[in-house]
Order: sequence, then structure tokens, then C-alpha cells
Amino acid sequence: MALAKERLWKVYRDMVLIRRFEEEVEKYAQNGTIPGFIHLSIGQEAAQAGVVEALKYTDYKFPDHRGHGAIVLSSPPERRKNCMSEIFAKETGVNHGRGGSMHVNDLEARNMGFNGIQGSTVVTALGTAFDSYYRKANKMAGWEDENKDLDVTAVFMGDGTLGEGTCHESMNLAATWKLPLIYCLINNHYAISTHYTESHPQKELKTWGEGYEVPSYRVDGNDIEAVIEITEEAAERARKGKGPTLIEFMTYRWQGHFSGDPAAYRPDGELEKWQANCPLLLAKKKLMEVHGYSKEEIDAVHAEVEEKIQGYVKFSLESPSPKAEDAVKHVYMDRVVEGR
Amino acid sequence: MSRKLTFSGAINEALHQEMERDETVFILGEDVAKMGGDFGITRGIWLKWPHRAYDTPLSEQAIIGLSNGAAVCGLKPVAELMFADFVGVCYDQIINNSAKLAYMYDGEASAQIVVRAVTGGGIRCAYHHSQCIEPWLMNIPGLVIVAPSTPYEAKGLLVGSIRNRNPVIYLEHKLLYNKKGDVPEELYEIELFKANVVREGKDITMVAAMTMLDYAERAAVEMEKEGISVEIINPMTLFPLDKETIMDSVAKTGRLIVVQEGPKVMGYAAEIGSMVAEDIFEYLKAPLKRVTSLDTPVPFAPVQEDYVLPQYDDVIKACHEVMTF
Repeated sequence: MALAKERLWKVYRDMVLIRRFEEEVEKYAQNGTIPGFIHLSIGQEAAQAGVVEALKYTDYKFPDHRGHGAIVLSSPPERRKNCMSEIFAKETGVNHGRGGSMHVNDLEARNMGFNGIQGSTVVTALGTAFDSYYRKANKMAGWEDENKDLDVTAVFMGDGTLGEGTCHESMNLAATWKLPLIYCLINNHYAISTHYTESHPQKELKTWGEGYEVPSYRVDGNDIEAVIEITEEAAERARKGKGPTLIEFMTYRWQGHFSGDPAAYRPDGELEKWQANCPLLLAKKKLMEVHGYSKEEIDAVHAEVEEKIQGYVKFSLESPSPKAEDAVKHVYMDRVVEGR
Repeated sequence: MSRKLTFSGAINEALHQEMERDETVFILGEDVAKMGGDFGITRGIWLKWPHRAYDTPLSEQAIIGLSNGAAVCGLKPVAELMFADFVGVCYDQIINNSAKLAYMYDGEASAQIVVRAVTGGGIRCAYHHSQCIEPWLMNIPGLVIVAPSTPYEAKGLLVGSIRNRNPVIYLEHKLLYNKKGDVPEELYEIELFKANVVREGKDITMVAAMTMLDYAERAAVEMEKEGISVEIINPMTLFPLDKETIMDSVAKTGRLIVVQEGPKVMGYAAEIGSMVAEDIFEYLKAPLKRVTSLDTPVPFAPVQEDYVLPQYDDVIKACHEVMTF
């Protein structure tokens, strides 16, 4: 499927935004400004941007630990700077700096956040998928119409995540109850240093879903048009109560597992091969060669994104740290935990 | 109006009445719907509300995971773990999600869930169906552990747990299921985080929960005959503990015995002992005593299980020891 040119143009801009976002995050992680671990998704932009594009704002998104792209794009434009300042551990962050890179969430945008444990959100996602399923079954307020679409939940997971037992429990239950879920399996080939063929017997990980009679697909995760098409199909099936879908997006992370990992476990030439298949390059080529966009128009998008990104960085650098004593807030609801 | 109900009947009634009142409350777990639960606790719910009672696969991670996600959307799941020992297979969901969602979401949402977990020994079912699991969860800030001892508490505390906006592990001691007691017919709520002074006394403070409360009450009567006055505190919420009520009592009596069913190491008796030693050491007239299981798994053979679990005579012995120091 080919996207309308305006839509391809829009998602190209999204991908440029998250590419630049990640590059700046990497820079400030490397120079020590950002504390802790940073897992970058440079090279995986199409899968991140495409899935978010295919969903509604009101659908639930569970990004994974390499999910800055989906996180940023899930939030409305005015809150994207707060996603960055969260990663900078600042008070202005969407979670006031308490979560950081691995836990950025924005409930209003139904970005439910990641929890730091591989496979953990794969079962938590059952619950958000269950919500509209339950309300509709019980004809609760707002859900009396039996033709009303369910809210979709998309949970991102990696090729390594599939080794976790939660994946079985989640898919088994979601498939049996026909919950509105999409398993977005981002196959970037490596779980830290271990290639997916060294930890799974399947040649294609998508075949794992077939044992649960779940429609399962493998697509080029660097081709944003393919990503959007298959995700929209899956979302439509979920909304209509026809159950979950597994999509394996084939892609590649350009950086090491964490910012600073030299990724010496990769064979020579592999990265270069994937860089030639860069999702931004592919989209740009199509925009220029098929849709007739000029180099000047492309450059203008980059300039516009650059201005935004520099704004996010400035905002993040200038934001204050949270108050230390706020660490005791929200441990419990309606109950105070003593500070020092 | 009050009438006699069993502990299990009181839990069942709390579920029915709270579900009647609040359509966001639902139950899920293994065999909880059509069968009404392995112990019959959820009987009748599926018949009344077929879309609010869910039999799940044997998937504790999915049960708790689904509960967490649904709670964030505003539903109020009451999940059953057929045996509390199964906390082991869904530990990640409880400690890394349930306990931390309020923190993660800055109090905008939380895992308002109840996990009913069937706990404790004494039924000759060996080490995977008899454990007291509360210490496994008691150094996880964000969790709440509730432990009723009577039918009255079972109903009121379950209602309180469902309405509480925090994740509550609600422990049901299987030996208490047939215990009878007065339970009001109407819906009522017992506040969490508050210990109950079951009996006032001046010589010994005895802290006891669930089945151990029975030992404490019998011991208090027996000690009274010897002129020794025992004050009994039932924490009801084991975590976070009502520190103030316990401290006030020990400061008054100067002697502390904690009767705890699980192993001695790192149990809540250890925490209560540390609190006392740290904060009110100068009030103590004798070293504190912990009456607990031995530090072993729970064995199957009745003679061995009795050997390992704390016995009534151990409580009496502890009373004499603190009084003669």
C-alpha cells in the first residue's frame, strides 16, 4: 500500500524528529548530563512512528525500553519537550524526573510507559485491552452501543522479550478471550549481544503467534508504509472484537544496547548494510522520486525539526531538578511516607 | 443486624454486596467463576453477573498483569490466588507493577487491585500450599498486606481493601474459612492501616494475626489465672504496620511477644522487634520474644508439620519467660 503523499510527508517529519531526538539524547548521555542508562532506537524509527501513526490518540500504547520514538510521538506536540526533560531527570519532565528514560509515560496520551522488566508490560497490556471489553460486555456508561469499537492496546516488545514466559500467558489469554491487543514485536536482531536466531528456534518469530491461532505477520520494519498498513489492519480487527495480532517488524538498531556499548558482537559490514536501508532514507527517496518533493522542501523539514529539537534541549537543560524530598510522594495513594 | 457467618461466608458476602454497589468491581482467577472458587469463596457471583466473573487459564502473571492494567483504566479487579504460594510465579507483576504504578504515574493512577491469597499451614499440604508469604512482600513500599482473623474483620477489611486506592494483598488463612462469628448484614468497611487492641492488659503486649490470634486469646485467659494481664494487638494490616498502636502498648506493658506463623528469620516479628528496640528500648522490662515456625519449609507429615509450626504451648512458655526475666 502506498500512503497518500501528505501522510508520508507527515510521518517522514515524525521520523526525522525522533531521529534527532535520539541523537541529542545520546550526546547528553555521553557527556554525562543525562544520568543512568539510555537505550536508543536510531535505525528503528519506522516501526515506532508507523505504529503510533496507525493508532488513535485514545488507544493504549506500551512502549518498550527502546521506545523514545513511540513515547515522543504519542504525546501531543506541546508536551514533547517534557518527554525530553524527563529523560534529563528534570522537574518539568512528564513524570517530574522520577522515572527517566525507561519509564516515560503520559497517561493523558495513553502512553502507559515501560516498567524496566522485559515481558512485564506484555501482561499488563492485557488489562488496558480488557477495560473496554469489560465495559462493553456490561453495557456500562458510554458503552451501551454494541457496534461501538473497542479501544486498542499496542504493546511493543523486542525479539529478546519473546524468551519471557509472560509472552505465552499474555497471548494465550488474549487470543482465547479475543482481547483488542497488538503485539508489536520489534525484531532488531539482537537482545543485547545475543542474535535472535541463537535464542529462538523459529526462523521467523512471527510463527510463534500461529500456535495461538493469532494472525501473525512479518513485515519490513524500515518501510513505514508497510508498518502503517499492517498495524491499521490489526487495529481494525482488534476494534471489532476479533482479537489480537502479532506483527514482527524487521529492523536493526544502529547503536549498541545502551549508549556507550561498542557492539563488538556484530559481524563486520552488518551495520553498514542496514544503514543503507535506513527508514528515513527510504521514505525520503519515495517522497522525492515518486511524489516529486524537492531537496529544498526536504531541507525545510529538517530545519523545522531542528528548531524544535534545539528548543527541547534548551528547555531540558534549563529546567530545574526535582526537589529531593519529593521522592517520598505517591508511594501510596492517600497515605504519606515519611521523609528524612 | 448481625448474625453468625463463617469466615468464608463473610468474604463471599462482601464480594456480592460490593459488586452490587460498584459495577467496576469484578473477579478473576482460576476456577473462580463457574465453580465459585476452589474453596467456594466466590460462589454465586458468576450466576448473578456472568460478565463480571472470569475463569482464567493457569496464568498468575496474566491474572495480576491484567488486574494492574485494568485498574489503571478505572476498573477494580479482585483477583484470587488459589494458594498464596503462587505469589512466586507472579512476583514481578506484584512487586514491579502493582507496587509501583502510583509512583510511576505520579498518583494520577494506581493499581487499585485486591489479590485474595489463600495462605498458611496446618492443612497437611506440605511446602507449596502452606507458606506464610507476607515477608516476601513486606519490604516493597507501595504494597499493602491485609490479614483478617475473624468473620467480622474478613468482611469489613475486604470492603476496605476493594475501596483502597492501593494494591492490597488480602490474606485468607485457610484454617479460618469455617470459623464462625457475628457479622452485620449491611455493608460496612474496616479502615486499613489500623491495628485492633483485641484485649487490654498491663503486663505483656502480644501481637498476633490470623490463626495466631486464637492462641493469643487462649493464652491471655490462661495467664489471667496466674495473675498476668495480657494485652492483645491484632495488626489487621500487616504492612504498612500501625506502629503507633503497638509502640503505645509496649511502652505501657514493657514486655513484647509476637506470635507469627511463618519462619522466624526476617518475618514481621523481626520488624516489630526492631521498631521497639530502636524507639522505646528504655521501656523494656524483658527481652522481646518471637514465637514462630522453625526456619524450615513446611513439611507434610502431620507430626513434622506440628513440630515446625508454632504451638499453643510455645506461647505459654514465652509468657513465663518474659515475666521471669
